[in-house]
Amino acid sequence: MSSNVNTDQLEAGDELDPLDLHITAEFNESILQSIEDLHPRYMTTGPDHAPIVHPALLIVFSNLTRSPSFRLIPGAAAVQTHDDVRMLKPVPVGETVTITWKVIETYERRNRPYQVMDTHIVDPHGDTVLTRRTTNTFMAGKIPMPVDIGGS
Amino acid sequence: MPEINTGTKQGAEFTGRTKNVTSYRTWQFSGGWPPRDGWPASNVHTDDRFAIQSGLPARAASGAMLQGYIAELLIDLFGEVWMSDGSFDMKFIAIVPIDARVTTIATVVSKEREGERMRFNMDVRCEIGDGTPVAVGTATGTI
Repeated sequence: MSSNVNTDQLEAGDELDPLDLHITAEFNESILQSIEDLHPRYMTTGPDHAPIVHPALLIVFSNLTRSPSFRLIPGAAAVQTHDDVRMLKPVPVGETVTITWKVIETYERRNRPYQVMDTHIVDPHGDTVLTRRTTNTFMAGKIPMPVDIGGS
Repeated sequence: MPEINTGTKQGAEFTGRTKNVTSYRTWQFSGGWPPRDGWPASNVHTDDRFAIQSGLPARAASGAMLQGYIAELLIDLFGEVWMSDGSFDMKFIAIVPIDARVTTIATVVSKEREGERMRFNMDVRCEIGDGTPVAVGTATGTI
């Protein structure tokens, strides 16, 4: 792990500290409200399953900023520019998932640093439920905004 | 009931529900959990000062929020099975300001047999306001 290094300085092979994330019904419903998706599948028990965690919760809480070891200098921010997400298994509300992050590539383009991160979310049974390959850039006040900017 | 079926043709376009990226919803989405003292957590999505200090013009919606909107559209199209075998690959190309209205669109590019199922390859995008794209990419799902 790389707990003592600013995240933008991590290089290929480095990892962020993992996160165990317990997902309650209230937690899930907060995300449902924020994205205006109140489908019953996420809130009520179906014939063969418990309420399901919305994919948006899994994505926003597996951004690199959620790792306990994520850190940047004051005034800097990580901004997501690209994300390739694979959905592998629905997560029932009430489970605790484990999220891991590993840097697979770093590069510079137009004087801006980019970092590509593989993220895995694993359920308590050891099954991978979601994978991501995310590209982030790092911004500070004096660095102009890139064209391909998103959010994290 | 999924909206796509084996007869759905290349070029078919599907539009999701329009979303309103309000200030509070952005806090709810990006402010952290649980909402205890100090909530919302300060970041480029929740705090104008933080965003400006980081080089953004103002705080803005998270890219993950857009991914949540796209996921909703894809689950509407393919059903819950999408959460077991779906994918999407998005590039974030513009800032989504607070109070923007976001529309999601998915277009069938191709389809192919995959055992007993049929896999659809889609183009997906999020637009704000008058149709300005803010996130673009591809997605797959099966029926």
